[in-house]
Amino acid sequence: MARHSVIDDTGPLGVVIVGAGFIADHHGAALRASSRARLAGIVDVDAGRASAAATAAGGVPWTTDLAEALARPGVDAAIVCTPNMTHEPIAQQIAAAGKHLLMEKPLTITVPSARAVVEAFDAAGTVVMAAHTHRFYDYARAVDDAIAGGAVGRPVFARLALLGGWIWPDWRAWVLDPAKSGGHALHNGVHLLDLVSWWLRDEPVSVYARGRAQTAAELRIYDYLEMHVEYAGGADAVCEMSRGHRPSTLDRRDVLVAGTDGVLQLPADGWGSTVVTESGTSLLHPQAANGFAVQLDAWLDAIADRAAERAMTPADAVRAVALGVATELSIERGEPVTLDEVMEGVRS
Amino acid sequence: MSDATLGVLLLGFAGLGPDQDHQRAMYQPAFEAHPGFEIVDAALDDPAVDVVSVCVEPERRADAVIAALQAGKHVLVDKPLALTAADAAKVATVAAETGKVCLPAHHQRFHPMIAAARGAVAGGKVGLPWNVQADFLVAGGTPSPAGELANFAVYPLDVVLALTGLRARRVFARLGTHWSDGDADDFALLLLTHENGLTSTISVGRTRSLADTRPAGLAVHRYRVSGSHGVLDIDASRPAVVLRRAEASSQVWHGPGTVDRLLDELHAAVTAGRPSSPSAADAVHIAEIVDAARASAASGHPVDLSTEKEGSR
Repeated sequence: MARHSVIDDTGPLGVVIVGAGFIADHHGAALRASSRARLAGIVDVDAGRASAAATAAGGVPWTTDLAEALARPGVDAAIVCTPNMTHEPIAQQIAAAGKHLLMEKPLTITVPSARAVVEAFDAAGTVVMAAHTHRFYDYARAVDDAIAGGAVGRPVFARLALLGGWIWPDWRAWVLDPAKSGGHALHNGVHLLDLVSWWLRDEPVSVYARGRAQTAAELRIYDYLEMHVEYAGGADAVCEMSRGHRPSTLDRRDVLVAGTDGVLQLPADGWGSTVVTESGTSLLHPQAANGFAVQLDAWLDAIADRAAERAMTPADAVRAVALGVATELSIERGEPVTLDEVMEGVRS
Repeated sequence: MSDATLGVLLLGFAGLGPDQDHQRAMYQPAFEAHPGFEIVDAALDDPAVDVVSVCVEPERRADAVIAALQAGKHVLVDKPLALTAADAAKVATVAAETGKVCLPAHHQRFHPMIAAARGAVAGGKVGLPWNVQADFLVAGGTPSPAGELANFAVYPLDVVLALTGLRARRVFARLGTHWSDGDADDFALLLLTHENGLTSTISVGRTRSLADTRPAGLAVHRYRVSGSHGVLDIDASRPAVVLRRAEASSQVWHGPGTVDRLLDELHAAVTAGRPSSPSAADAVHIAEIVDAARASAASGHPVDLSTEKEGSR
């Protein structure tokens, strides 16, 4: 990735955070640690939550009105951490205001809206990036470095599993409402679908997925997803995303990539130390780079130098949405769904 | 186990492709080492023959097994038992009629890690299993001209079925040729939907040779069983004492191998007068899955299995 350019004579970029939920804390911490950007305000529909977050951040301005925040002097960009169904209108508003955007994944929950958002930022001449944070974690980069270095030759089969237990609130959580989240494939599945597609350096052509309401039969989303992706070059990927495993303390990352010249593995027990205590066995994560900070830098790089190669392109973000939509559709039909079908009508 | 010594006739020294001879490579040495068996040089109808170890060409295999069963002999048959589910079903019918043991050589289920896991799952250690993930990647050796779906897939399929006890209902599969020069598949990805909604995904294939993996040895062999109350990880490259030396690293372990344990089951079933586990019916179901996988890979769509015929397990 390119280092940030020297076009930096205006001081740190002013960034507002929109949506003061738990993921906003991670972005806020990355902003605090950056010398290239500063937190310029908090926006949340809930005034109490906005003011509390603003106070916690050292007394930055807060508002419940996005337009007001975007109009404030010194605000150049936004990081949006709101529920998925609000992504499209908020993104459009930010594009119209001529600001840059780091949007929590998924970019939007439909392919046409994702394409429309990208076109709006193209027209505005500002940067939009979807926060597929796993691309910026050490483990994902280690795998990518190895593949890029030719360690396995041409990758032909990849497995990625991110398995855990229930972490969501109760039945009222918007994540559990497919109309609001787009379903679990859009909410979390896109992390894995994006990551393997990046690793494999190939274009997905179809998805065959199985979904399971494991925690409760009444769930309207699939807390366990098993997604097969077929690639244009003949490779296959199997991605498992789970928030339905038990025990709920399960914390599992598993990577296997087989290539023409070798096999790469990040075994499930290979990325931490095992701690055995009276309350059970758990994994002690190794010290690692802050993926949110690395991601913030990548976004700031893209803003500073529009011509530089981007770590995560708008097309990547649209593709991730398309893969998520294809996954949900495949589960519904019990059949593979092509990317062509879900991209139909939005291709130029 | 009874101390009866059973006479074994070795019938055929062929396999899938010109280089495969499991009779000489696997079964003969295991029979010779096993105290319960004695290899005899006799005709099929000789009373000294209790068991026939069948490794004839796959095209003639089903007929040879049927002939042995009808001659009143018990049979150990190399995998695959037959090349099609229809042929496998004929064998299973004759096995049921004669009441003789017909043991397909699905010996990986006797791996010490897997055998222990079967007991743990059956005992409810992870609650009700709802998903299994499996990888069975062999490195090096001679690629099977019949393809690795026909050759290797039998092993992890048998293990998944033995672990869960749940038959497959629907099969989606992808076949690829990534490492060998011929046309035969050397990679298969099987996505199965089983009874009670359990899903499984199995990758199976033969990569090029890898350092520290003996030719035709398993580079990756593992299973993960997710259940309503827990998760079981089975790494079948263990148990192992790992040796690191200047020239190469390797692993060693003590005790009977999977083929030795397969022969234990053969001996126990014959002397107890009970069907073996696995049985010919298990091989029929695996052949159905393999047939369906081939059809699915060709069509790009999942294939539903008939639920009319139920095997025993």
